[in-house]
Amino acid sequence: MTWLNSHPLTFLVFAPTLLGLLLLALPQALGKLTRLLGFLGALAIFVLSLAWLLGRAPGAPLAEHAPWFTLVGLPVDYSLAVDGLNFWLVILTTFLVPLTMLGTWNSLKDRMGTFAAMFLLLETGMLGALVAQDLFLFYLFWEGMLIPMYFMIGVWGGDERRYAANKFFLYTLSGSLLWLVALLFLAGKAGSFAPAIMAQAASGLPFGVQCWLFVAFAVAFAIKVPLFPLHTWLPDAHVQAPTAGSVILAGVLLKLGGYGFIRFAIPMFPQAAMHFAKPLALLSVIAIIYGALVAMVQRDMKKLVAYSSVSHMGFVMLGLASFTVIGTQGAMLQMLNHGISTGALFLLVGMIYDRAHTRMIADFGGVATKMPIFTTFFIIVTLSSIGLPLTNGFVGEFQILNGTFLSGFAWGRAYAVIATLGVVLGAVYMLWMVKRVFWGPVNPDEDSGTQHLHSDLNAREIAVMLPLVVLILWMGIHPGTFQAISEAPVATLLKDANAPAIRPLVLPSAPLLGPVEAAAAGHAPASAEVHP
Amino acid sequence: MTITPTQWAAILPLLFPALGACLIPLMSLDRDQATAKWIRGAMYLTALLAVAAGFWYLTDLWKTGAQPSFHQLHMDRLAQFSGIFILVAAAMTILQGWDHFHQEGWVKGETLSLLLFSVTGMMLFTATSNFVTLFLGLELFSLPLYALVATVRPRPETAEGGMKYFLTGAVASSCFLMGGVLLYGFSGTFDLKAAATVLQAQGLGADPLVLAGAALLLFGFLFKVSAAPFHQWTPDAYEASPHPVAGFMSVATKGVAFIALLRIFPGSLSGVRGLEAHVQSALAILAVLTLVVGNLTALVQTNVKRMLAYSSISHAGYLLLAFVAGTPAAFSGLLFYLVIYLAMNMGAFGLLTAFGLQGSHTTFEDLRGLGWKRPAMGFCAAVFMLSLAGIPPLGGFYGKYMIFKELVGTGHVGLAILGVLASLVSVYYYLHVLVALFLQAPSAEAERLASDRPAVHAPLAGATVLVAAAIVLAGGFTQAFLVQGFAQRALQEGLGLFR
Repeated sequence: MTWLNSHPLTFLVFAPTLLGLLLLALPQALGKLTRLLGFLGALAIFVLSLAWLLGRAPGAPLAEHAPWFTLVGLPVDYSLAVDGLNFWLVILTTFLVPLTMLGTWNSLKDRMGTFAAMFLLLETGMLGALVAQDLFLFYLFWEGMLIPMYFMIGVWGGDERRYAANKFFLYTLSGSLLWLVALLFLAGKAGSFAPAIMAQAASGLPFGVQCWLFVAFAVAFAIKVPLFPLHTWLPDAHVQAPTAGSVILAGVLLKLGGYGFIRFAIPMFPQAAMHFAKPLALLSVIAIIYGALVAMVQRDMKKLVAYSSVSHMGFVMLGLASFTVIGTQGAMLQMLNHGISTGALFLLVGMIYDRAHTRMIADFGGVATKMPIFTTFFIIVTLSSIGLPLTNGFVGEFQILNGTFLSGFAWGRAYAVIATLGVVLGAVYMLWMVKRVFWGPVNPDEDSGTQHLHSDLNAREIAVMLPLVVLILWMGIHPGTFQAISEAPVATLLKDANAPAIRPLVLPSAPLLGPVEAAAAGHAPASAEVHP
Repeated sequence: MTITPTQWAAILPLLFPALGACLIPLMSLDRDQATAKWIRGAMYLTALLAVAAGFWYLTDLWKTGAQPSFHQLHMDRLAQFSGIFILVAAAMTILQGWDHFHQEGWVKGETLSLLLFSVTGMMLFTATSNFVTLFLGLELFSLPLYALVATVRPRPETAEGGMKYFLTGAVASSCFLMGGVLLYGFSGTFDLKAAATVLQAQGLGADPLVLAGAALLLFGFLFKVSAAPFHQWTPDAYEASPHPVAGFMSVATKGVAFIALLRIFPGSLSGVRGLEAHVQSALAILAVLTLVVGNLTALVQTNVKRMLAYSSISHAGYLLLAFVAGTPAAFSGLLFYLVIYLAMNMGAFGLLTAFGLQGSHTTFEDLRGLGWKRPAMGFCAAVFMLSLAGIPPLGGFYGKYMIFKELVGTGHVGLAILGVLASLVSVYYYLHVLVALFLQAPSAEAERLASDRPAVHAPLAGATVLVAAAIVLAGGFTQAFLVQGFAQRALQEGLGLFR
């Protein structure tokens, strides 16, 4: 127990692997038992993570540090820590894993034991990447994560699974291999893989070199996010992956991209990051609008949700590119939101797919009369995804747009306005889908999906959805629970970036024009006059 | 002439396999069926004992730290390192060979004898910097290999592969000889270290004929490591060979050629102005060419053995990059990489035996669905392929990591980027194996045929595969121990690097 007390993070990160290897060793015939063991283990890890992370005194650091090895003159440290930046992401991960296992209990028919094992190995990769404080260690987890995900998509996926799995693996790897070269370059200059020392070394390099290094970091992370135009692997991976894979892909894997920006790319190269703020923001805005527009025309519900991910993660990147505390805080919250809302959407689509064996919107219609409980949950999650006030989506998007609007960049206001359009488009594609699937008369076609919906959600599925709905509302009503801890680290982070001061007030500028004129001219022209 | 104990110590490691090689043919006289079974067992046991004795002796020598020599044969740390490397590969080959040759129905003593002669030659090849001894070693290990490639005579294509290998190999050997003669002509000594001093003293480093000599010498080495454009023999020879022999060739031939190259070029011939720079730039160009050709050609292969052959070509490219970086750390990365490469490739070729794939039935089609049927072997296959692709946290990643780190550190960022792009390409064809093993169900035709065949029984090959997978996994977590404990010491005390 004393070992556990001093190494809680090591236990959290590696317990899933140990369990996963044990499950792999169990014979195939015991698939059901293996699945149960896997679920109970993941649940235990979630409970432990809650107890250890929430139970400690606030502000008490949770970190482990030990030298690991030295190769080619570069020391690598075994350094793990949980702080304000990754606290909730760690809990989100440990929470989503057992929940997803339960939510997709009967989705897989064969090799479910191996699937549970892969899932647990993936959990190690995700948790390790989230808590690693040494870039080499982070890289190991970051790459190691690909292996279980590859098999999850490739073995248990849809018809095009081999193509999707290969694409996922190679696409993600291409970014991170180039990033490795940048990492080696910088580590060679710094003589260490510790982010703080590397940041110091980076600040001594010529600005051009810093920019190249930042681009290498940013591309690796942007592929994971995924940021337009590097998003093309995502729809394939999402559509072909089994439900559990999609949930965890959307729920946690994409977050690691955004997390990489907050944890490494921006603090290590603050000047270069500022330099690239505009292109990043521009790509984010394109992702928001483009993702939404493409989502609108999808005929497959899962693909629609996949493209909505592109749009939502665009908001995250926009928040980060705003370089304001509120925008970054919003981005952090939006990552959690997206993990919960999109994860829930994928679970719901999976539930209806398990019953109807189709995900085509045209195959449905009138589902509300057949599955009222399912419909209720779906609507709640849809509204959260749209960003209705009192749900989590609203808070995140509002803060991001607010931060972008207020940021000192010349493009801030214009981009915020365009991005707001994305919120409207989000409502359009989601509600239109809801209309076609749930409302209206029951689809009369005998072979249609609706005709195959014989049962509403059972107790297990309701038990999966309830905690998600509670979180959606909690985060919408009291986001402070989830944001308090990251406030200070985010503020420190942005201090180095030297971002242009916030242009805070739009309304106080109005009196300069006089109340009547201001009302007539509206905000935008007024601000343009005051801040040329 | 009397031989002192230290001189015995230097040649004994070579004598054990040589003795085994001589004993085995005596046993392979034709007998009736009942005794033949026992004789086969005895032959394999003798071969294993010969290898084990050499291994035991060398590890003992390594522990004492002695570096004995016998005239031109220097059993220094580097030679001991490579001796252990060769003997481990040979032991795995013998074990896999027992299963494979039984599957093929072609269990012959001469195979073992040839293998052990080749082992002796390889140990000689890496233990000297004298050109004549070097050439002796080269021929002693190459000639048995030519015959080994074509050893399973019932398969018609083996003769083709063996012939190709022999003819091209003969050209390479004669070029090697010519190169040595040219250097001798200018320096008047066969000892390459002394030759370097003479050439440097007379300022002949950039003389065209000296450069031609060095180039021809280099050609001999590059042929053996199968670097492009001298790689053409590799896929044909591998495809023709029995699986364990192909594994042995891919690992041991490449390994000793690299270690000998290390001893000659950065070792003995270092410091010759003009020559060094030319060799380095030639190696850089060839490394790039090898990476591009090896990886791109591997993409389109349908036969696993040919794919592994092109993969072994591309690995020669990564290892050549270590020479471009040219730092001691890069060379210790090279030695570490060779150790992991031994495990990965012996494992990968052992898998073919363990899965019971015979003769030319080694296409990706033949692998389909086998990963689920034999989960332990499937797991090992995943370990080997991901490690070959350089995915962390497996051993193969660290080899590439060290070499790329040194490349970046010495200012060759462009080459490092090319290297990582090459390994990105390589991921695709390594994944192809996993796709076949896990992601594809066997075709109905294959299922029907499989039910007719007897169950595959390859316990020894399976065991070597498990051991190899354990080494690859362990390599990912004990990298610093392996590098500092073995690779660096071999270079430091053997070549005098790290000073």
